[in-house]
Amino acid sequence: MHITKAVITAAGRNQRTLPMQTLTDRDGAEKSVLAILVEEALSAGIDEIAVVVAPGDEGPYAATVGDHAGRLHFIPQTDPRGYGHAIYCAKPFVGDAPFLHLVGDHLYVSADTQSCAQQLVAVAEAENCAVSAVQATRENLLPYYGTVGGKRVPGRKDLYEIDTVIEKPTPTEAELRLIVPGLRAGHYLCFFGMHVLTPAVMEILESRISETRISESANQRITLSEALAVLATREKYLALEERALRYDVGVKYGLVIAQLALALSGGDREEILTRLVEMLATRELRRGA
Amino acid sequence: MSSRLIDIITARDPEVRNRSLDAFCRTASLKELLDECAALEAFRRASDNLYERVRALFFLYAIHRFHLPDKLSPDLTGFGKPVRSLIPYDGYTHLLQRRFEEAIDCFLALQTADGPTEAISSALAEAYHRLGFQTLADQVRRSVRSVRGNQWMFRTGHPMDHPLRVRRELLQRSAEGLFPVLHEATPVRMDLSHSGWSDIFFLGMDFPEGARVLNVSIDLAVHGRDPAPRPPVEAYIRVIDEPLLRLVSVDLGAVAEITNLAEVFDYARDYLGLLKAAIIAAGIIPPGMEGSGERLQDLLARLIPSSRGETGIFSPAGGTKGGTYGLELVSQVNGIPKGSRLAVSTSLLACLIAVCMRATGQTQALTGMLQEHERRLVAARAILGEWLAGSGGGWQDSGGVWPGMKLITGQLAGPDDPEYGISRGRLLPGHHLMGYDEVSADTRERLQKSLVLVHGGMAQDVGPILEMVTEKYLLRSEAEWIGRQKAMGIYDEIVGLLRQGDVRSIGDATTRNFFDPIQTIIPWANNLYTTTLVERAKATFGDDFWGFWMLGGMSGGGMGFIFDPHRRAEAQERLLAMMLATKRELENALPFAMEPVVYDFAINEHGTVAELRTGTEALMSPSYYAFLVPALLKRERYALTHARRAELDRFGAACRTNPALAGMVQTLFDRIIPRADQEDVSQRTLDALLEELGFDRIQHEQIRADLRSGRIGLAQNRLSASTVIEDVYPGDVANCELRIANCESRTMNHESRIMIREFPIPNHQSPITNYGLQALREGRVAVVTLAAGVGSRWTHGAGVVKALHPFCKLGGKHRSFIEVHLAKSRRVGDQVGMPIPHIITTSYLTHEPIRDFLAQRDNYGYTGPLYLSPGRAVGLRLIPMARDLRFAWEEMPQQLLDEQAQKVLESLHAALIGWAQQMGEGNDYRDNVPQQCLHPVGHWFEIPNLLKNGVLAKVLAERPQLETLMLHNIDTVGADVDATVLGQHLASGATMTIEVITRRVEDRGGGLARVDGNLRLIEGMALPHEEDEFKLSYYNSNTMWISIDKLLALFELTRDDLHDAGKIDEAVRAVAARMPTYITLKDVKKRWGHGQEDVFPVAQFEKLWGDMTALPGMTTQYVVVHRLRGQQLKEPAQLDGWLRDGSAAYVESLCAWD
Repeated sequence: MHITKAVITAAGRNQRTLPMQTLTDRDGAEKSVLAILVEEALSAGIDEIAVVVAPGDEGPYAATVGDHAGRLHFIPQTDPRGYGHAIYCAKPFVGDAPFLHLVGDHLYVSADTQSCAQQLVAVAEAENCAVSAVQATRENLLPYYGTVGGKRVPGRKDLYEIDTVIEKPTPTEAELRLIVPGLRAGHYLCFFGMHVLTPAVMEILESRISETRISESANQRITLSEALAVLATREKYLALEERALRYDVGVKYGLVIAQLALALSGGDREEILTRLVEMLATRELRRGA
Repeated sequence: MSSRLIDIITARDPEVRNRSLDAFCRTASLKELLDECAALEAFRRASDNLYERVRALFFLYAIHRFHLPDKLSPDLTGFGKPVRSLIPYDGYTHLLQRRFEEAIDCFLALQTADGPTEAISSALAEAYHRLGFQTLADQVRRSVRSVRGNQWMFRTGHPMDHPLRVRRELLQRSAEGLFPVLHEATPVRMDLSHSGWSDIFFLGMDFPEGARVLNVSIDLAVHGRDPAPRPPVEAYIRVIDEPLLRLVSVDLGAVAEITNLAEVFDYARDYLGLLKAAIIAAGIIPPGMEGSGERLQDLLARLIPSSRGETGIFSPAGGTKGGTYGLELVSQVNGIPKGSRLAVSTSLLACLIAVCMRATGQTQALTGMLQEHERRLVAARAILGEWLAGSGGGWQDSGGVWPGMKLITGQLAGPDDPEYGISRGRLLPGHHLMGYDEVSADTRERLQKSLVLVHGGMAQDVGPILEMVTEKYLLRSEAEWIGRQKAMGIYDEIVGLLRQGDVRSIGDATTRNFFDPIQTIIPWANNLYTTTLVERAKATFGDDFWGFWMLGGMSGGGMGFIFDPHRRAEAQERLLAMMLATKRELENALPFAMEPVVYDFAINEHGTVAELRTGTEALMSPSYYAFLVPALLKRERYALTHARRAELDRFGAACRTNPALAGMVQTLFDRIIPRADQEDVSQRTLDALLEELGFDRIQHEQIRADLRSGRIGLAQNRLSASTVIEDVYPGDVANCELRIANCESRTMNHESRIMIREFPIPNHQSPITNYGLQALREGRVAVVTLAAGVGSRWTHGAGVVKALHPFCKLGGKHRSFIEVHLAKSRRVGDQVGMPIPHIITTSYLTHEPIRDFLAQRDNYGYTGPLYLSPGRAVGLRLIPMARDLRFAWEEMPQQLLDEQAQKVLESLHAALIGWAQQMGEGNDYRDNVPQQCLHPVGHWFEIPNLLKNGVLAKVLAERPQLETLMLHNIDTVGADVDATVLGQHLASGATMTIEVITRRVEDRGGGLARVDGNLRLIEGMALPHEEDEFKLSYYNSNTMWISIDKLLALFELTRDDLHDAGKIDEAVRAVAARMPTYITLKDVKKRWGHGQEDVFPVAQFEKLWGDMTALPGMTTQYVVVHRLRGQQLKEPAQLDGWLRDGSAAYVESLCAWD
């Protein structure tokens, strides 16, 4: 398996401006969120990148990625039918090839020299199957993530064979179906927002979309997790436990925190730390006075 | 150390493992038993296998309770020392505080030092018994917590950690602003065969092979009231636009708007404990939040976010601004009474839990039926909920969650189960649904057409029965173990018959089950009411009555009668009439909670089912509005929230158009403007009754004033702290025989003597015995049976006449206390050739029932003179002082309960103190039926009553030679007119001879003591310090022999004065003034609704006869009698032990039945 394509979803109607926000990257350069994500993908040897956007966002987004604009294919999601549907919109772009998938409102800060995407793609290519990046997450955060159940791949500490995927499970469900041996009590493997997916996922999404068109209301949202749950029953599907950190830029103070994280792991670390300490000290001294 | 009993416990071979303890103990010597006890004690401390430990504990209990005391000499300890039957107070305190290991150490240390005694064995038995049950309960609790799907709830301790969210479907308001309503309806379960209470958790976990039930989900209707069967329990949940939890119990008429977290965990504060338990067990408020000090609003904001993200990954901090929404949970039981034996309360709990789980996305489907793994989780959560609320249900009781007919069976624990390696079985059983291929539609139909389900009206506490079953199982008591095998055989038979479709034979099998194995295991499962009903059904329907079927714990409440289908309709009508008539006959003798009812029922093939009501349909049940709308209408419209206003508008519109709400306007009108108040009628009756009974208002006001001012009260019952309380002197006891010989020359400083004799005495030829026999032959003795009481402890305040209670089968029939006493007098009268006059003292509460009962039964064939002595004194109960409640619950040593039950009890106590303060401390207690507001004023008055009401004068006129009265309590069933004790009484020349017994741990309430050096009886509540009681070797049996003339002299009366009412009154008043008045708290039941009962503590006063022993001039002799003769039956839970330890056989040997 060789992975050359990536799909970034950024079609959320309430998050349209997020990918355009500007941050200072680890290398000290100012970049948009989207540009940082594109570089993450490129670091993993990706050639072509599709960005699924809300109709009309193509131009503004292209303007924020500078030199990378030429590599990007913008795909509008005309019908907002959920996350799974957004990915499915990229089917003509990926064709029958496996692809890397990133979400548009997260930034990833790797703990070592290899980027998160690089590690994920390397595993997928080596194992020749779909791989999702996951992270051990406390049960109180289950309402926010798709969660997988499975068992460790023998001889690997960071790799799991996935049996089940449940979108935002309750802890009750999680305890019954998603316990993974070796994790701390009350911790589950939740999606990290980065996957290498195989063409089978597109097939599953396709049949799911046509089913809901026939049987249910058009408002039915298609989740990626339900497609991945089916994938786990069809073919080999692994989870790679990430030690990296990811930051959701869509929440309150999300951008600030993501910026701090980037700065503290980059070349300006000393300076930022000094400023922070200075700010705290001055504040406390004034309060004392 | 080799031990035969340890070999039994640890045997792999079931043949050996199931051997009975009794068989070994019967032939073992005292030394062998003590050696076995030592070995078992060491074994149970060392063993790491839970069930081996528990079985060893129960063996130890049974040896100390039933076997060791029999091997001890009455006068000597096991080490040959003279008996001094004391229990160390420290050990007793440990026992109360549930420090069982420490209690056992303390008792064993004394046993090692002084040798085994009856007293220490009784204390050890109690400690081992409780430790055994505690160990089992702990294991169930651990298992409930460790069930997968429940664990996370105990880890969640902060709102920020709360991982559940209300499903978005419940947040989608209608155009008018109504939130959708999620409605769950659940059938109840009925068990065709519980296979000898095999659904008790402990049994299922130790003996999964034997834990099997045939459980059917049914819908119910009360015959003649409801149109058609429907699921008996319902629950509703919806989001509300107020940041609080609103809990509503429509059936109990209770509503609470909870805004703080601690209140959710306060189970006994109101009638909403079950709803709170459901909210907690369903994880909406996880149990881990208890005591966290967090705000309920924060938790609700987390649970019900006002907006949610859209993309695949949600932000942890997103959507938690909220804070404006809450939840409303509503429960409704459709008129099915408590105690129906259909697991109504567990079904309701499961229904509530299911609806809460659906609402928070813990089930896959929001509506419709549940999946198998979800049903199991609901069942596990229901077990958790019951434990939280301090109640206990059976392991099959959530059966209604499943559809139709199913076999529920114990499961061996496997390596993946948390129970593995700890218990043989799993906590949760397996469910096998019986499809139509197994039990045909035709069979189901015929079963429904044959069976008449009823509620007989009795509501009883089955808790003690479940403990007895567990204990007998662990001991493998011979008869009971054979009974269990038979019950298992009958279970197989019933399942087979059901598959074959032979309903008639099922009736035969369930009848055999009830009359043979069930009653072999627990005789108390049956009662006179049930026996009478079955006999009458047989007599009325002959061969068309196919069988009787006991539902659940015990009979008298929910029961089934199987008839030929062509007579079923007739049977429904006649059975109701039969139950009503039988209840009328027995209602003073047995505790009935309600009028009997007949049900219509239908098998429910769906189990628990939910539906979502949206848009204009988003309304609660009609009963909900009938209950809540009157209160809402009293509030200004602007004070209601938007959703409430929209709901009322919608409800108003629906009343006009929806046929289901027809008549609602009238219902609401009646509620808003109540008709003639029932309370007024009851108050008039009470006042009339007080008038009629000659209630002494002046004395009552004096007592009230004294109570309020603190001159009398529980604390003031006690003698002053400087009073010296000592046990009888050892020398007195040792020299008793001498003193009999020298009774004239050697009297003690208080003109009283002690002598020790054990009864029954084998030598009936002794001069003393002959002396007594002579008196009997000459007709010089009469019996006085005290029967004024309503058995507060016996029925926990239900208000039945204890004397008439058919408490046990003796001589093949259920016998009442009175019948037993008359049978003993008959035997003695026949033996001596002179009938014994029998006087039964009554009170306003018991006089008419006893008179009528005896008349209907022709005095139980008693041919001797029989008199009733009506009570002449009555008191009006008072709302207790909060001070006294606190004293009783906080100052007095209290039995600490299991952790969760204790929490519930403390919450109840706080609620009851609040009740007393709200009702007005010291006010008259009038909020009940009149009989429950009045009280008898203590047995001191019963002897003076004999003088005042002329009964004694009448007896003496008919039998002038009469000189001695044997007075005894109604529940001292072993006391008879024994010639030897009588002889000793007569020989002593004492005014009174009082029978005392050596003390066991359960004998509380005073005893024989030296009070400041003077020998007398002292009441437990008068002892200056709680521990004083533990210095006293002897307990008062309250059986007394009274010399009539000497007693009259003490009252400064003669026989001739007995016709002078004025003189008698004056004499009685003079002596009464010298007797202390005690304030006591009594539990009184208030019944309401459908079999609901509340118990309130009320204050009353009494004077007690034992205090006469402190009167100067009273010469009293005390004799120690055997426990078989002197023990009293105070609580039904004692009966099983009483039957097993030979006491019942002893009583039977004293009786000559009619």
